[in-house]
Amino acid sequence: MADLEQRYRALSRQFHPDYFYNAPPAERRASLEKSSYLNDAYRALKNPASRVEYLLQLEGLAAKDAQEASKQVPPALLEEVFALNEELDEVRELRAGGAADAEWKPRLERARAPIEAKRADHERQLQALSTAWDASVDRDAADDERRRIMESLRDRFLERNYITNLLAGIERELNS
Amino acid sequence: MSEVVGIDLGTTNSLVAYVTDGVPIVIRDRSGDALVPSVVSVAEDGTVHVGREAQRRLLTEARRTAYSVKRFMGKGREDVQDEARHFPFRISGEAGGVVRIGLGDREFTPPEISAFILRELKRRAEEHFAANRRGAGAPGEDNVVDRAVITVPAYFNDAQRTATRDAGRIAGLEVLRIINEPTAASLAYGLDKRHTGVIAVYDLGGGTFDISILRVEDGVFQVLSTNGDTHLGGDDIDVLLIQRVLAEQGGSPSPEQVQEIRKAAIQAKWDLSDREETTLNGRRFTRAELEALIKPIVDRTLAPCRQALADAGLQPSEIDEVVLVGGSTRIPLVRRKVEELFGKTPHSELNPDEVVALGAAVQADILITGNRDMLLLDVTPLSLGIETMGGVMSKIILRNSTIPATGGEMFTTAVDNQTSVDIHVLQGERELVADNRSLARFKLRGIPPMPAGMPRVQVQFQIDANGILSVTAREERTEVEQTIEVKPSYGLTDEQVEQMLLDSFEHAEADFAARLLIEARNEAENVIMHTEKTLRSPELAEIEQTELSAAERQRIESVLAGLKMVLNANDRETIQKWTHALNDATRHLAEVMMNRSVQAALSGKNVDDV
Repeated sequence: MADLEQRYRALSRQFHPDYFYNAPPAERRASLEKSSYLNDAYRALKNPASRVEYLLQLEGLAAKDAQEASKQVPPALLEEVFALNEELDEVRELRAGGAADAEWKPRLERARAPIEAKRADHERQLQALSTAWDASVDRDAADDERRRIMESLRDRFLERNYITNLLAGIERELNS
Repeated sequence: MSEVVGIDLGTTNSLVAYVTDGVPIVIRDRSGDALVPSVVSVAEDGTVHVGREAQRRLLTEARRTAYSVKRFMGKGREDVQDEARHFPFRISGEAGGVVRIGLGDREFTPPEISAFILRELKRRAEEHFAANRRGAGAPGEDNVVDRAVITVPAYFNDAQRTATRDAGRIAGLEVLRIINEPTAASLAYGLDKRHTGVIAVYDLGGGTFDISILRVEDGVFQVLSTNGDTHLGGDDIDVLLIQRVLAEQGGSPSPEQVQEIRKAAIQAKWDLSDREETTLNGRRFTRAELEALIKPIVDRTLAPCRQALADAGLQPSEIDEVVLVGGSTRIPLVRRKVEELFGKTPHSELNPDEVVALGAAVQADILITGNRDMLLLDVTPLSLGIETMGGVMSKIILRNSTIPATGGEMFTTAVDNQTSVDIHVLQGERELVADNRSLARFKLRGIPPMPAGMPRVQVQFQIDANGILSVTAREERTEVEQTIEVKPSYGLTDEQVEQMLLDSFEHAEADFAARLLIEARNEAENVIMHTEKTLRSPELAEIEQTELSAAERQRIESVLAGLKMVLNANDRETIQKWTHALNDATRHLAEVMMNRSVQAALSGKNVDDV
């Protein structure tokens, strides 16, 4: 990451339109295009999730499948999702019956804890898999090994997105 | 060589600064005053007064005097309905059109009023340079100020930025860059401290609030996130105080009397920044009373701060330094709230009224000299998107994306042989189109007749370093470039801006034509110089082996010769035509040269050597 930041700054220093104000229009246009491209690329790589997404795209495990897959509950999360939905239903019932905040808020907070833990766990796994991927590229590992890493990366990534949605759902319920 | 300046065009006050020997300084009048009140008054005989004199006229000719016009920049008639009653001047405009401000029997758009203020600052700067030159014994030099960096609130949308740029053009200024006020302030603060760290800039001015979070490293000022409210500032505090006095007094005072009350209210507000009590409307008024009254306003700044922190992915404890900008940060309650939120004492070594103009001057200097010691990397404050089915906004460039930034969207047709598509461009964070800001509507024309769904029109959105949007489109199957007519929802067309410049009393039509001719010639000379330099470059021989065909080189040389021939003709259009032709001819070569420098940088060479 430090390397990314440093390169980003160095390239920005080279292409930013600030330094081409007095240049002829063709160079000004090129500087605008290059620095836009640089900023777009930096944005994709800076965030671990979008970096994985970009990597998956590069490796042909395209976003289209990911979108379809994200509608189904990932098998590894069935248990958590089931428990959470039950809790959400009960909370909604309590609230519809005019229950005070103190009656339902702690329940939701409790329900959130294991999912937060799951997310942290996934972030760690994604980090580890990304490192493993980089290493496999560096040492030119066999295709099937790389494929295996990439597939687990994809699965964890889809699960992570699903978890993010679950947490957003709890957040919405808490704030509504 | 003409001079360049940085301008802080504020809601309440405006000021101008420039860099000399690497140090930014603000320009003051003879009495040492840097601030020009952002007030414009049109006398009965048509004379226009700006600044202190206009401010005095608020008390005698309130209906002919405009203030806080920044609040109306880039706004539509409907947007300002509610607050129009707080102002003594007439506010009108066609439904769905730009706001108009009536002073006496004349009507102005907000950019025109702002242009009066900018012209006053330009005049002030020119006088300053002329006086300096006389002192230095170099008379006869060119003291004209015709280029400026102008600041805007970070949270200004596209329409508000464009309106500000138009104001500069109407005032006869080439606007080098529109930059964000908090970012400008950080540049001024960062000058003497070459440190690394995360800075939060809290900027509460007369009419607007911004919070920006930046990381500073190696002289690069990278904005991580920004948030704010373009309708929150000292003005709102003044209105609360005025309403309180009016409620106490009863009756229906004249506009001039209201302005007397406003003046007293502002004085009382200032007093209470240094003292525990003062008098207002003939009775004791304490700081505690003021704080109780304004707490809701100050509290409204906190949610944007939290959002900016969240968007930057930071906790308050991870902020290394907090900088205060804007006159309203002198209020003790504001300081306490900021300190509470970030858990550290904010900086205020530099005058909060002057720091933005200083930063603008630094940026102007960077643009003119190309000095690479410092670099600002700013972000777009609001997401950009388009209307999709069901009145929902689909986001294309997300907020807090570093600018320049691009985004694309593919469009197609709904019926057979359809040759145009309507596109509605929006800015904002909300789900529904109606809750966001409409920037422009345009029609993509010239789509080749094809069965429905067949055309693939790629629309490209580009936000430049000013934070201003442009749109291009091409049909991918036929490679036809589309004509786009962008009709700004609440802005002025280029023709209107040019007309206003023509109408402005400082520019007779002949002057204007002469000026345009000179500009065209300068541009042409610039292009000639760069092309010749490229053609002499040692790298060129290498490029000719691979990427530049003989025909291309020949074309460049013949267009170059053509441009040189027409350069001294008194015909602006011909000069421009040939300049454009040379630009087009050299576009590919310029890209090749730039790609080579990218590769040099990526292959690990020190970029400074390239």
